[in-house]
Amino acid sequence: MRRLFIALLFLASLPFASAQDDPLKVAFIYVSPAGDYGFSYAHELARQKVDAHFGDAIETVFVEAVPEPDVEPTIDQLVADGADVILGTSFGYGDGILAAAPRYPDVIFGWGTGYQRAPNVFTYMADLYQPYYLNGMIAAGLSETGQLGYVAAFPISEVKRHINAFTLGAREVNPDATVDVRWLFNWFDPAGTKEATEAMIAEGVDVIAFTEDTPTAIQTAAEYDVPSFSHYASMVEFSPETVASGHLVNWEVIYIDFLQKVLDGTYTSDNLSDVDYFWLLEDDAVELGSEPGVKIADAFVEPLQNTMVDHPELGSISVYDLVMDRHDKMVAGRDVYDPFLGPVVDRNGNEVYEAGYLPTIGDLTSLEWAAPGVVGAWDNEPQ
Amino acid sequence: MDDQVWITLARALAFSTPLLWAALGEIIVERSGVVNLGVEGMMILGAIAGFAVAQTTGDPWVGLLAAMAAGGAAALLHAVFAVLLRSDPYVSGLALTIFGLGLSGLIGRAWVGRPLQNAMEPISLPGLASLPVVGEIVFGRQHILTWGGLLAALILWVLLHHTRLGLIVRTVGENPAAADAAGLPVLRIRILTVVFGGVMAGVAGGFLSLAYRPSWGQGMTNGLGWIALALAIFALWDPLRAVFAALLFGAFFTLAYSLQSQFPPQLLTMMPYLFTILALTFTAVRKGRGAFGAPEALGRPYARGER
Repeated sequence: MRRLFIALLFLASLPFASAQDDPLKVAFIYVSPAGDYGFSYAHELARQKVDAHFGDAIETVFVEAVPEPDVEPTIDQLVADGADVILGTSFGYGDGILAAAPRYPDVIFGWGTGYQRAPNVFTYMADLYQPYYLNGMIAAGLSETGQLGYVAAFPISEVKRHINAFTLGAREVNPDATVDVRWLFNWFDPAGTKEATEAMIAEGVDVIAFTEDTPTAIQTAAEYDVPSFSHYASMVEFSPETVASGHLVNWEVIYIDFLQKVLDGTYTSDNLSDVDYFWLLEDDAVELGSEPGVKIADAFVEPLQNTMVDHPELGSISVYDLVMDRHDKMVAGRDVYDPFLGPVVDRNGNEVYEAGYLPTIGDLTSLEWAAPGVVGAWDNEPQ
Repeated sequence: MDDQVWITLARALAFSTPLLWAALGEIIVERSGVVNLGVEGMMILGAIAGFAVAQTTGDPWVGLLAAMAAGGAAALLHAVFAVLLRSDPYVSGLALTIFGLGLSGLIGRAWVGRPLQNAMEPISLPGLASLPVVGEIVFGRQHILTWGGLLAALILWVLLHHTRLGLIVRTVGENPAAADAAGLPVLRIRILTVVFGGVMAGVAGGFLSLAYRPSWGQGMTNGLGWIALALAIFALWDPLRAVFAALLFGAFFTLAYSLQSQFPPQLLTMMPYLFTILALTFTAVRKGRGAFGAPEALGRPYARGER
């Protein structure tokens, strides 16, 4: 908050300065405290990298812990303070952003994880389904029981997509693997995460993945020596011996690309209707790793190299090599390898994508089905 | 399937530990006639104070002392407003919760994203842990504070119902004017019970950040303080009933995750509140019939000569 105050004071002191010489003023709006170690924390790390990357050309401010209904007045305030670009990082900011955008046609808006655009509103997403797929492969390679666990926030398309990717990955390594899913109906619920993890481990689950905004699942699993995965940012510090790998987000890759194009005039406040970033491994917007630069934690490399599987396409191969094969192919592009390439059937046996069909981003962001191997309740499941 | 019952009991014990400590404190506070809605705030101040001190000193038990001190200090604020200055206790308690959540977030900025280096370790209860089937599951790896909470409930029950001290506290809560006439220092007793309640909430918060989930996260109590308040009422202001109520609440909570494919989890996590409403209805119906009612002077600040 102090940074913000200083920034706002600074902006307030220069209301009549000429626009030409000013740095581009970019404001970030976070739904939770910047230090929450979850979603907003990842955006805050990205903001700091944006600052460092552009130097004097861009000036950033952030407002943290803005409840979703309060985003419109926050936008009004930021515009009054001279913001040129406003980036609302949360899905729930959509209504507020789309309502405010027509009022400020000269301001550029970004809706993080959103789906609706306007001439001055672009959308962006760094999606984790590919690293989750690789995490699922690693999980199945490490599991003795073949029972994997997933603590999940909300039964919305994004989380379902990640559970499906994790499960499909697990089944590529072990066709009998199952993924037990427990829902929290909350993005932030340490106690619920703890009890969900405990319940699954008591039932025989021996690897844990999760979508929740704290490292609780990692800490709980560590009490039983159960491997787990970093979520969003490195969580290795919470249990250096049991975090096997993970899925990391580099939002700055998207921010830097977009802001560079604003600076050089490619993107303006009236040509954003088709600007939708849905960036993946190939764009470096997301990363496989327990921490940046470490795809699989050292202690887990050898066990995975020693676990051989009979792969229908690649023959006898170690899980480690299989993970790296899939990783490198996904880095090369969705057309080279994609876990959702048809034929894909759901757990009820319905064909979801026919043979050879590569689902579009729209297909993936509206996905509701559950992959074979997923065990547990699943709201809005197509029958 | 038998195992499932014991596993549920084991997890209910663990999850209900912070609820029990905080609810026991609130029961004593309310028995003396004061309401403190600041449990959530005192709990989270205990959590951050405990974490910060444990991280600095390397000793979680020193951290626990700090948690107790922080809870007690926060409660003293409430005592000043709600008891001494006789302002609205509901407003003062709510303010304490909001204040505690904010202040803990501010203090906690330096600690976010770091695990606790030396956490409290679970212990195995000698003897009981070697019982067949039940032993290892239920007694094998609980925290000292879990067993401590049960012991505290027993001690408080004896104190409240079978000692002069308990009689004094209850009298102050039932009829402060009579207590005053009998020469009891009503305000001083109420201040002491409020501070005691804060210390107990501090233990609850310390348990969360030092044992249950040894790390600090903003807002990490996440509503447990409110459930503890409901628990004090559901237990009808009795320390021993609080043990069973806490276990029931704990069981609902853990079953929300183990029975998720059979029951919608929202239904199970809603149960504690539903039970509390039922308990309130029960006390309202039985009003004036002794053992099950709310303390007569609950929530009414006392001043000599006023009714």
